[in-house]
Amino acid sequence: MSNEPRDVIRGSTDAQTKTQEARMEGVDNRFNSKLREAFGSSPFILTKFDKFMNWVRGSSMFMLQFGIACCSIEMMHTYAVKHDLDRFGSGVPRASPRQADVMIVPGTIVTKFAPRMKRVYDQMPEPKFVVNMGSCAISGGPFQEGYNVIKGAEEVIPVDIHVPGCPPRPEALIYGVVKMQERIANGESSPVTVKPYELEQFSDLKQDELVDKLASQIDEDDLVMRYNWADSP
Amino acid sequence: MFAPLQSDPVLLPETIARLLFGSEIAIWQEAVAGFLAAFLIANIMLANAGVAGPWAKRKITAAFTDRIAVNRIGPAGLLIIPAAAVQLMAKELIIPDGVDRPAYDLAPILLALSALLGFAVIPMGSIFGINLQMADPETGLAFVFAVASIATLALTMGGYASNNKYSLMGGLRAIAQNIAYEIPLIVTAASVVIFTGTLQTSEIVAQQSEPLVTIAGLTIPSWFAFVNPFAFVLFMVANLAEVGRNPFDIPEAPTEIVAGYMTEYSSIYFVLFYMGEFIHIFLGGAIVATVFLGGPAGPVLPGFIWFIIKIWAVFLFTQWARSAVPRVRIDQLIEIGWKGMLVLSFANLVLTAVIVGVML
Amino acid sequence: MSSYEEQLDTAEGVDYDAIADLLGDRVVRRETHLNAEGFVVRPDQVAESLTLLREEAGFDHLSMVTAQDYEDRYETIYHLTKYADRTHEVSVVVPTDPENPVSESAASVYKTANWHEREAYDLVGVEYDGHPDLRRILLPETWQGHPLSSDYDQDKPQIVQFDEHKNPLEDDHRGADSDTMFLNIGPHHPATHGVLHLKTVLDGEQVADVDPDIGYLHRCEEQMCQQGTYRHQIMPYPDRWDYASAGLLNEWAYARVAEDLNDIEVPEYAQIIRTMSAEFCRIAAHLLAVGTFALDIYGDFTAIFMYAMRDREKVQNILEDLTGQRMMFNYFRLGGVVWDLPEPREEWFENIRDFLDDLPGTLEEYHDLITTNEIFQTRVIGTGVLDPEDAKQFGTTGPVARASGIDYDIRRDDPYGYYDELDWNVVTEEGGDNYARFLVRMQEVEESAKIISQCVDLLEDWPEDERNIQSNVPRTLKPDPDTEVYRAVEGAKGELGIYIRSDGTDKPGRFKIRSPCFCNLSALNAMSKGEYVPDLVATLGSLDVILGEVDR
Repeated sequence: MSNEPRDVIRGSTDAQTKTQEARMEGVDNRFNSKLREAFGSSPFILTKFDKFMNWVRGSSMFMLQFGIACCSIEMMHTYAVKHDLDRFGSGVPRASPRQADVMIVPGTIVTKFAPRMKRVYDQMPEPKFVVNMGSCAISGGPFQEGYNVIKGAEEVIPVDIHVPGCPPRPEALIYGVVKMQERIANGESSPVTVKPYELEQFSDLKQDELVDKLASQIDEDDLVMRYNWADSP
Repeated sequence: MFAPLQSDPVLLPETIARLLFGSEIAIWQEAVAGFLAAFLIANIMLANAGVAGPWAKRKITAAFTDRIAVNRIGPAGLLIIPAAAVQLMAKELIIPDGVDRPAYDLAPILLALSALLGFAVIPMGSIFGINLQMADPETGLAFVFAVASIATLALTMGGYASNNKYSLMGGLRAIAQNIAYEIPLIVTAASVVIFTGTLQTSEIVAQQSEPLVTIAGLTIPSWFAFVNPFAFVLFMVANLAEVGRNPFDIPEAPTEIVAGYMTEYSSIYFVLFYMGEFIHIFLGGAIVATVFLGGPAGPVLPGFIWFIIKIWAVFLFTQWARSAVPRVRIDQLIEIGWKGMLVLSFANLVLTAVIVGVML
Repeated sequence: MSSYEEQLDTAEGVDYDAIADLLGDRVVRRETHLNAEGFVVRPDQVAESLTLLREEAGFDHLSMVTAQDYEDRYETIYHLTKYADRTHEVSVVVPTDPENPVSESAASVYKTANWHEREAYDLVGVEYDGHPDLRRILLPETWQGHPLSSDYDQDKPQIVQFDEHKNPLEDDHRGADSDTMFLNIGPHHPATHGVLHLKTVLDGEQVADVDPDIGYLHRCEEQMCQQGTYRHQIMPYPDRWDYASAGLLNEWAYARVAEDLNDIEVPEYAQIIRTMSAEFCRIAAHLLAVGTFALDIYGDFTAIFMYAMRDREKVQNILEDLTGQRMMFNYFRLGGVVWDLPEPREEWFENIRDFLDDLPGTLEEYHDLITTNEIFQTRVIGTGVLDPEDAKQFGTTGPVARASGIDYDIRRDDPYGYYDELDWNVVTEEGGDNYARFLVRMQEVEESAKIISQCVDLLEDWPEDERNIQSNVPRTLKPDPDTEVYRAVEGAKGELGIYIRSDGTDKPGRFKIRSPCFCNLSALNAMSKGEYVPDLVATLGSLDVILGEVDR
């Protein structure tokens, strides 16, 4: 896989072959199943199946019932009578992160909450998606200069869609969610949240080994956590 | 007492066996036919639950709350059914640290299984001349209640094995609730058995086809819901508690204990739990239909269609209760169960016994 | 009423000389704040002085505790007032040594001081001697420094050693022979209405102990306000304290205190607009409270929640026509409001009239669906009881206090805006349980509708050339240095007060918010001990805390 994953995804004509080559060359064995090898270079059935899976993931979404701040009030309105997000197949709130696909981050993240939010995100099963709702979740919003405020949820977890506004109107949130569904259905939003550099570095390792390898690098005695929000972008 | 309406109908496995192997049927052929029949029935019920879970439930709830719900994914949002099913099953299956492994895996399977097992003896009527009943043992009703209560074990297993306190509370609540309501449920059903004098489900259904009264040319059949409405109401309430719907949805209680016993379950296990719950509601509906609503009886349409209509009616009732009625507290639930329902159901049993003893 | 109290109350308000006599030589010095006299007492005589004021002078309501640091001292101010008469105020000022800022705790006199002093310790760094549990309350336990003290460097990274970050689940099993179970409810939990963390100890299904852990939404609101100029930059922030669409009520809190501080008059026409729009906000906020409370009792997004949301949409549409925003209105300005009513006025009034005409029917529907439902009644009557004495001790206000039979409403007791010209009632209930709190909110919606209807009548007949929405306010406001003022309004959740000390610049030297939810939430432990988990959830729902306001 190249260093520009976004280009690969967006590129118009040669994207398909590029990703295929990347898969076939064995750079990234995780996507390179035996089935793919068996079907050769034109895996018609598999691409159709991929398409179907993308459509499925984009069509049915269980939301995490997750309220943080002001935006959660508008989020409730989005689920409720007038706006009814459920029309788009994404309006089932699940209280348990184990059963949710999408996490809408509706509010300001502060230092005390950031680790907990990370934990909730980690508890969600793959493939999972995150919608950032409102300025606070994007950048800290009006509270950006606060001593306790984290400048955007993206400092903590990967985010698929940002919906700006303070707070965004329910229509805006619906637009954001539908846009994300579109992206997922078109295969533009990667269902596996692994960053490219991780792929290059650990591509030959299985998931468990990867965790083990990373864990062995941590020295428990001097590990520190830095809340250095002043320097962050 | 009453004579059965028709001579013993052929059961589904036998129909299949004759179709496949002719009239001479060996033991192994019977077994194969049995498997096929079970597969068919299970799939019918799974299909029902599949429609109910991701689509009908949302549509019904939406109708109660002035919303529309899914309408963009396919016609009337119907394609959400395959989408949700595949999407949920394709998700990562998370096995949290420290779960009690065999129990954790068995619980969802057991729940769905126990609900499906119950349908083995339910007379589902016939369609195209094929009787869809799997088996018709003389202890039919006892068997249904026996297998349905295995679900309690599944919920407790899931709650205990999940290594999560919310799950544990959900599991314990499930035990307390099901014990408290199973007894009134069965005792109320026993009052019907006093009428019929048999536990055989086909016999119970057959006895309900007699006319009760005729008012202005309209014949009301002697469904036990009409013969003993009190028992019917008791049974419906106990049934709500049995399937864990409002006002008795405390084992799941989303705002209190997150998702109760299924808090830690994801992916296919979650689907099994979710579907298991719906099949349980349908099994509850099937028991209600069999015992109180004349089973598959009904005019014009084939019996099987009527049976489906009846179990969906009961499903609609549970969804209505879910949308409109608050949840009771755990101690109030137990109180209602042991001090109210139990006493009432025994009173009903004794009264029925006296009436039947004196009049018949 | 004790004899002293009668003697202290004069027709003009509090006789401060008599209070000085009462406190005797405990008073070091007297200060004059804009709202009340301040009595400076020694750090080791705080509890004594406060006890005297509470027992003898009838100051039974500790409204707020403000801590701040000057160049030469740390200072704690106890703002006292009376539930019986809100206009009677007195401040007790406790200066401490900057090297070793320790003063005596007031937690033994007023229970509400417990949390207030923890917050003062957390953010400013004053330590309280004899405090039962002096821990950080808003910031993480591992935080270094006190962010609102003057020597705090915000750019320094907060470094937390790994061993300080213990596994949060480790303490779960408290001893092998213990019968109780420790349960973390939140910070992400469907019942917490945001990001509240309840450390709960359960005995079976019963709550043996509950300790609310707040601060998961501490967005430095006070710091933000201290960085903004009086004239324009502070007003957007109050919208985000109590964000349950109660924005205008919060804005009014700031408008009131800043107008008092800078001596600004508000035209009558603007006052009526303020009164009307603020009551719309109260309706929206109470409808949300009703909806989410029903959510807690019903357990799913059921009909009643959806209906509440549907009716909130109507209110939000009216407010959007007026202010241009659905939630974060930013509509008030110092000295008035930002613009006049939307044109065409008749159509807008018509919308409001339609809404008001529909409201009784809507509320009837709510009562049919919930209030008269027997299961609902068995769930909420007699649970989460807060008796009046505790309610006063914990400094609860608003619907929570009024449901405990405390007849206390700042709109009437310390009038502002146009409220004293209008005909409306303060709603009280005697039960003090979840049901009473629910009923109070439902009836307050009706009262608000009454107020709005009168305001609409007034506005409709207002002569066109007298529609003055804004008085003359200087471009830059610079109040005299060291002017101190504490003012409160009746927010959706109760007494929403703001203390401002000016330092001679165009920005406040100290900006302290008295959040009603903060005080109401501190009573949760007393209300839900010994009850069942579902009751704890219901009680939390009926307290109607908005975490943005609790944590600020």
